[in-house]
Amino acid sequence: MQTDSLWQAVLGEIELSVSRGNFVTWFKNTCLLKQEGSQVTIGVQNIFIKQQLERKYNDLFSETLAKNGITDAEITYKVTASIPTPSPRNDEPVLITRDVPEVANAPRSTNIPTSSTATNSLSHSYRQGLNERYTFDNFVVGGSNELAFAACQAISHSPGTKYNPLFLYGGVGIGKTHLMQAVGNKILQQNPGAKVVYISMEQFTQEFVEALRFRKANDFATHYRSADVFIVDDIQFIAGKEKVQEEFFHTFNVLHQASKQIIISSDKPPKEIPTLEDRLKSRFAWGMSIDMQNPDFETRCAIVQTKAGSHEVTLPHDVVEYLANNSGTNVRELEGALNQLLAFCEMRGLEPNLSIASGLLSVSKTRPKHLSAKQIIERTARHFQIPMEDILGPKRDKDIVVPRQVAMYMLRSELHLSFPKIARELGRKDHTTAIHSVEKIEKESQFDASLRLAINEIKERLYA
Amino acid sequence: MKLQVTQENLNRALGSVAKVANSRNTLPILANVLMKTSNNRLSLSATNLDIGITHYIGSKVSEEGSITVPARLMQDFVGSLPEGVINLELQDTKLKVTTDQYKSVVNGIVADDFPVMPAISSGKSWKVSGATLKKGLQQVVFAASNDETRPVLTGVLLTTQDGVLSMAATDSYRLAEKKLGENKEDVNLLIPATALQDLLRIIGDSDDMVTITHDDQQVLFQVGDIELVTRLVDGKYPDYRKLIPSSFATQATLKRSDFINVTKVSSLFARESAGSVTIELDEATGKLSIRSVASQLGENTATAEANIKGTGSITLNSRYLLDGLNAVGGEEVTFGFNGKLEATLLHDSASKDYSHIIMPLKS
Repeated sequence: MQTDSLWQAVLGEIELSVSRGNFVTWFKNTCLLKQEGSQVTIGVQNIFIKQQLERKYNDLFSETLAKNGITDAEITYKVTASIPTPSPRNDEPVLITRDVPEVANAPRSTNIPTSSTATNSLSHSYRQGLNERYTFDNFVVGGSNELAFAACQAISHSPGTKYNPLFLYGGVGIGKTHLMQAVGNKILQQNPGAKVVYISMEQFTQEFVEALRFRKANDFATHYRSADVFIVDDIQFIAGKEKVQEEFFHTFNVLHQASKQIIISSDKPPKEIPTLEDRLKSRFAWGMSIDMQNPDFETRCAIVQTKAGSHEVTLPHDVVEYLANNSGTNVRELEGALNQLLAFCEMRGLEPNLSIASGLLSVSKTRPKHLSAKQIIERTARHFQIPMEDILGPKRDKDIVVPRQVAMYMLRSELHLSFPKIARELGRKDHTTAIHSVEKIEKESQFDASLRLAINEIKERLYA
Repeated sequence: MKLQVTQENLNRALGSVAKVANSRNTLPILANVLMKTSNNRLSLSATNLDIGITHYIGSKVSEEGSITVPARLMQDFVGSLPEGVINLELQDTKLKVTTDQYKSVVNGIVADDFPVMPAISSGKSWKVSGATLKKGLQQVVFAASNDETRPVLTGVLLTTQDGVLSMAATDSYRLAEKKLGENKEDVNLLIPATALQDLLRIIGDSDDMVTITHDDQQVLFQVGDIELVTRLVDGKYPDYRKLIPSSFATQATLKRSDFINVTKVSSLFARESAGSVTIELDEATGKLSIRSVASQLGENTATAEANIKGTGSITLNSRYLLDGLNAVGGEEVTFGFNGKLEATLLHDSASKDYSHIIMPLKS
């Protein structure tokens, strides 16, 4: 490892373990002067710092160095000049004459830089991928996303200090992108010079491949490593791409060590992204991971109202509730249904009401008709990777019982079948088994994130 | 820790050290003063990591110990106590301060986190008279630069040449040099001007000898019961001696008070032009005249009787001229220059110990 990056790694770790005041006073301006084998020479600013490090922090240094591959380090401290001054030039005159200052009220010829244009263009080049439409103000907060919202707001106030990295995960269309973009926009608003980079993993991959092809890997690396805020959407697409993972890993490390904010979104928690390298998994879980849920009924109502409000339409209450209840679970479907209703009414010059809404949506709401009980059971079985016969069969092993219960739950929630019918579909005699199963899954899915995830995934596949 | 001290001693010690403790520092403990007992003495120390000051005072120690307490609070508090005996007692990290009339508890931070004052074990040690050092510091330190981009000029140079110790400082617009006298030890120390300002404060009116100990990186001044340690500035000081002019085409000798008066008056009209005044010496009339122009306010010409050789004029910053005139001392001063753009020299007519150079302004 190069001495610079070694020292950066050591200081990065120490920064996490000592108080800020201690870090700034004792560690910040140290440098690694020399490292040969286990001989380490650390340059410090003055004798006070030297003594303090020797006396109190020697063990911390050895431990941290050991973690970075230098075991049993013999550390010596050396006082070096406070500022690495350019060696005094001999041609620089010692005594100089100055001009008589201009009279104060004479017209000033000094050119005040017209900075506004300069900063504008600067901020534009770092608006990469951000859409100004997404702000915190038009994000509807409900029980399912308030934690994520609060974390994102905290980040936008002091990027890089709290919750770094922030990992948001959840199904499609529940506002991950909106929140992440809102953080970027807010930070840019507060600090127009900040370099905010928003990119989807897909795009990152593509750019990386391009960079490799045109031998510009360096430019690529420097671009992303100089970001102040690095927002990556849909990280799950990194799965299986080894070189991209490596590049991303290094980018991640550089930014994290420099306390730059990193925000990542995915449709699954880091641990469940297949073929993701362990070092990335552990890094993603480093800061804060937040599970974003499908919005509950009240939040869906609020979303419908907000979206309608942005079209300057006020919907009657019953229409709002009808839309919230009958147009899918995620926000995108909800918005689609609303847009459909609004467009229909606008074209025909009608006021939106319940009958129009129900008429329209029942036309578009074709989902249950397509599905049979068999399809659901089959999909469930496939998700859990067990043969369908086992689910329908008599076996009572745990790895079969849970999928069976999930299948019953799905039949109830998606097809609204009666309990006796559900029992029959799964080859059970007693309908109380079905009642128990549905209740159990309902209850457990509230607490068990992986179960919830499985259910969501099966649903998504079913309607895909 | 349990001890008794007098209010006078404690107040004096806090006065010496507290100014160095800085509450703006990111590390809270640096705003504190370290109190520590040793051999029936109490030491108080404070540091800003550039300078460290320790003051020892006599006390009646019944239990050894150490603690750090907020310097400002302690100084203000002890300063307002009446004279007499103060009892100090430490319980955990709380320092109980009691007198007949007052009982207070000051929350401290454990002494273990306080930086250690650097000790100079293997260095040279020599002595210089406190009064001489103080006079020199007063005449020189103010001329040092506070521009951190040229760190060398933020220091004051203490050197010996041909057995004579001298002190010099410059901010590249003016330069002050004082010869302090014979010194056996050969030294070459570049000391931060800020530390010397603290030293000046500590020497106060003391007539004691000041012991100076130094190694490659720091220097320790001991004045009575007080120790001040500071780092040395890294770098090579320019060879200033060759910059001091020795002969002049134009030269005036006059009463220092007269020169100060005319400069002060003239400077009133020089505010708009950042203090620039033009000095004219006329050998025929024996007059020094000083002129300043302000387009808004008007203009001024002031003259003083002087013993003049050669005729000429030069433009200077009046504030620098006043600083120089105040520092130079003596009844009569000699002011000389060569060309319009060359260094001017100011010194006491009766002595050559102190030289003050001011660079002219280009008009």
